[in-house]
Amino acid sequence: MHLVHHTDADQPYAHQYPPARINSSIRSLQSATPSTTSADRVPLRKILKQEAKSLKAQKRQRKENEEASRQQWELTVGVEIHAQLDTAAKLFSRAPTSSSDVPNTNVALFDLAFPGSQPEFQAATLLPALRAAIALNCQIQPVSRFDRKHYFYQDQPAGYQITQYYEPFARNGYVDLFDYDGIAPEDGEKIRIDIKQVQLEQDTAKSQEYPPSTQLLDFNRVSHPLIEIITMPQIHTPATAAACVRKLQSILQACGAVTTGMELGGLRADVNVSIRRRGEAPGQCEYDGISGLGQRTEIKNLSSFKAVEDAIVAEKNRQIAVLQSGGVVEGETRGWTIGSTETRLLRGKEGAVDYRYMPDPDIPPLRIGADLIASLQENLPTSPDSLVLQLIGPAYGLSIEDAKPLIELDDGARLEYYQDVVDILREIHSSPEKSSRDTLARVAGNWVLHELGGLLTKADRAWDATVVPARSLAELIDHLQRKLITGPTAKQVLAGIFDGDSRPVAVILEEDNLLLRPLSRGEYLALAEAAIAQNPKMVEQIRSKKQMGKLGWFVGQMMRTGEKGRVEAPKAEEILRELIFQ
Amino acid sequence: MSLLREAERCIANQYVQNLNSFITPLPRTGSWKARVQEADQRADQGPLTWIDGRLISVKDNICTRDLPTTCGSGILDKFNSPFNATVVEQLEAAGAIIAGKTNLDEFGMGSHSVYSRFGPVKNVRNGAEGDLSAGGSSGGSAVAVAADQCYAALGTDTGGSVRLPAAYTGTVGFKPSYGLISRWGVVAYANSLDTVGILGLKTSTVRDVFTLLNHYDPHDPTSISRSSRARLSQVTSPSPLQCRPLRIGVPLEYNISELEPSVRKAWLLSLAHLQKQGHAIHPVSLPATKHALSAYYVLAPAEASSNLAKYDGVRYGTRGDHADSDKSLDAPLYSQTRGSGFGAEVKRRILLGTFSLSADAMDNYFIQAQRVRRLVQQDFNSVFGAGHPLAHENEKSSERPASGVDVLVCPTAPSPPPLLSDLTGLSANRSPLDAYVNDVFTVPASLAGLPAISVPVAVTNTGGKKSGLAGIQVVGQYGYDELVMQVGELLEGQRFADDS
Repeated sequence: MHLVHHTDADQPYAHQYPPARINSSIRSLQSATPSTTSADRVPLRKILKQEAKSLKAQKRQRKENEEASRQQWELTVGVEIHAQLDTAAKLFSRAPTSSSDVPNTNVALFDLAFPGSQPEFQAATLLPALRAAIALNCQIQPVSRFDRKHYFYQDQPAGYQITQYYEPFARNGYVDLFDYDGIAPEDGEKIRIDIKQVQLEQDTAKSQEYPPSTQLLDFNRVSHPLIEIITMPQIHTPATAAACVRKLQSILQACGAVTTGMELGGLRADVNVSIRRRGEAPGQCEYDGISGLGQRTEIKNLSSFKAVEDAIVAEKNRQIAVLQSGGVVEGETRGWTIGSTETRLLRGKEGAVDYRYMPDPDIPPLRIGADLIASLQENLPTSPDSLVLQLIGPAYGLSIEDAKPLIELDDGARLEYYQDVVDILREIHSSPEKSSRDTLARVAGNWVLHELGGLLTKADRAWDATVVPARSLAELIDHLQRKLITGPTAKQVLAGIFDGDSRPVAVILEEDNLLLRPLSRGEYLALAEAAIAQNPKMVEQIRSKKQMGKLGWFVGQMMRTGEKGRVEAPKAEEILRELIFQ
Repeated sequence: MSLLREAERCIANQYVQNLNSFITPLPRTGSWKARVQEADQRADQGPLTWIDGRLISVKDNICTRDLPTTCGSGILDKFNSPFNATVVEQLEAAGAIIAGKTNLDEFGMGSHSVYSRFGPVKNVRNGAEGDLSAGGSSGGSAVAVAADQCYAALGTDTGGSVRLPAAYTGTVGFKPSYGLISRWGVVAYANSLDTVGILGLKTSTVRDVFTLLNHYDPHDPTSISRSSRARLSQVTSPSPLQCRPLRIGVPLEYNISELEPSVRKAWLLSLAHLQKQGHAIHPVSLPATKHALSAYYVLAPAEASSNLAKYDGVRYGTRGDHADSDKSLDAPLYSQTRGSGFGAEVKRRILLGTFSLSADAMDNYFIQAQRVRRLVQQDFNSVFGAGHPLAHENEKSSERPASGVDVLVCPTAPSPPPLLSDLTGLSANRSPLDAYVNDVFTVPASLAGLPAISVPVAVTNTGGKKSGLAGIQVVGQYGYDELVMQVGELLEGQRFADDS
């Protein structure tokens, strides 16, 4: 009976196929994927809905799998960040650092490792490096030294990179990560990751491959000063590792240590990953003084936060699979391609490079005075964490979701613009209503991030504070808050200014006749009644089923039929409710 | 004789004598002629400097913009440096003419100037059985001076490379305290040991050149600063020689069994000569000496392996014939270039250095050798009456040894120059290591960065017929360069009669 019932239920579908689709239906049946057979005949909207649903299910499944593996395996991650310092000169020559110039124009003799040339340490490069180390709560070493790290590669003219291997200039720092930084839920509200050391070193040349046999080298980047920040292996989730890299970037940017972030290649991350089975004997490996860990692998050259997270997930799962199938994790170097699902082997253990670190015999020890550290400490800009506290505090009243992007976007330029808008607003806004004054900063946040941000995204334009001058936006928000214009009008004017309308806001509103002339109650009633008459069925649904969401349709009708820019949504809704429920 | 005639004679000598002392001799005609004539005209009113219009040859590992700089290597055999070394700028500013680029052991690695892509240098002094070694690695510079092909010459001294050829050719060779002469433009062999040295027929010539080069250079991070120089001159003047008889130290450890009797005789007669002039001779002990040579041959190749990593043929230098034949981007671009560009001795030292810096060998070799280097320095500090003028206050032992000596006097090399045929020939019983022992007396001063000079003395037998030439070395405390030269002058050119 059951069986028959099933057959009955499935048959009609098969019969409904038009003849042209039979082939595809057979294919579908052969591959036994009933979901696609049914998808073939459902409308696109439904397909999309289903796809979204299945994606969600997949995500949920993945999340459950991740959680299951987390229960069983402990992941341990350490992060190494290479960041280009914001300096005018290279680390060991006076050549400029600008990398946008014509290739191979900003190079000194030493940068190209010409015979007989010698390094000339540029003391000014120390300033951003020290700011970074101070912002990362490190102990600055009074004496540090430079070492040579040897390997042959054409992007490394000397055959070695000058770095600080034995005695780095900063040690024992930390970075605090909070829930709003996007750390994994299991890490709670806050987690502290220790920083083992920060060292100064040279960048390499930029190489461009033109297979099969051409490789172009641009030595402008050679010896651009970098800092390498090495964290302790104290991170246990992929999300927290990504949050850590993001946080390090925002700290480096906030203290003015670096020029560009990951998206422009100014920051690169390597991660080392190991796993161990929970509840079993501790692993045999020890890294940076932390023992009991499993054999780790290193994933090199991750260039986005997402790549950090995805690569760690993939590598963790690879190691679990290796161990579960009775294999052994080898200490190897692996790579990651954006969009892939697996890390790939770059260098096996037997191919490990012996860098033959040797103290550089030409470069004297670096001596850093306490007075320099003290003066830098005093002049360090506000840290991102204090900025967050400021923005979500009573002074601005932003949500954490708005505060974070304001701080992180455009290297702090967006935040600066936002603060300008708020400052001007506070100066010009004279609404007698306290509530209006108190919400100014929050409303401004919305306009700077979402309205202006939306226009930028739509036009695919980079941030530019001059496109919509802070004063114009402030005046616009001021008019809106004082209910002199409607929201849609404000958006329309903003778009106009964004597209090049350079008239002052007051002039635009005046000349284009956009100032709100409030409708009378009689005019609202007339508009509302006309709308209700159009769709009495829906009115009945609202009345009987309390489907209040449908009120919006009527409000929209009133805005459309009413004189442009004069219908205020809240008032329209008020009148509608009155008419429908009384 | 006019400066022009002197210059023309030198250049003629560069071309007629078949000594292979130059890789790039000075062209017979050129702008140098006008410059020498100008110097001749100045000579009457007062020359620019003591070397105005003189020909000074430069070892081919010192960069010159106008002449090639090959380092005696195949990998740089057509290399033209885009800049002048500071010492070259200094010489030219003083009115001197760069008299060509002299032959050397490739990158300065060798003791006989035979490891050159341009063939071995021949000594002017020829033995009865054939050509003799000119010493190395600045053999070309020493021979150019000895053969009257120039007025004076610059060499480089990393472990004895100026002093040994001076001893073998009968010239004066001076290695100043480390950091006094700029190394900007001097192609690095082992940076922590490399110094520019000066060769001349007489110490006074060497002094004239040294005075011109002894200046701070901001381009060289190891150049001694102006303030330290001021401290040095304050501590080291007036010269002890002007105040009292000297205390001459004789390092007992240098009386090794390999010392040739003729060299030992020259040493003893030199000491007797100094004693006769009223100076006191004191035996001293430098116990770390016996490890110094081994330490040197760990440290110098370690630095060399690092310094020579830059020669890959990518940005300059000669590419190997088949460097591009492998089109795969994964294949190393430079292995063929390095394989064919470097000579056997350079390859040996690169491998040696690569090994001693490798993770498993580092502690046993490189670190250990650095410890020996420190002991060698302490040895010297404990026998000199003067403390190291640049030592940190707390490193200076508060009490100087009461019996401390002013200088040490010892042979430059344990034997007279060997036959070239013995070095280059295929005699199976000679190991490359045999050449290293020639540096046994010169390496300690290099490890400690001390000033040292080699001056020629002659020993004639009773009949006065047969004379043996030997180099005697004077080593002083750091910064006592002038004292070292003064004591050198006391011995320079002495002919001692062998009465035994």
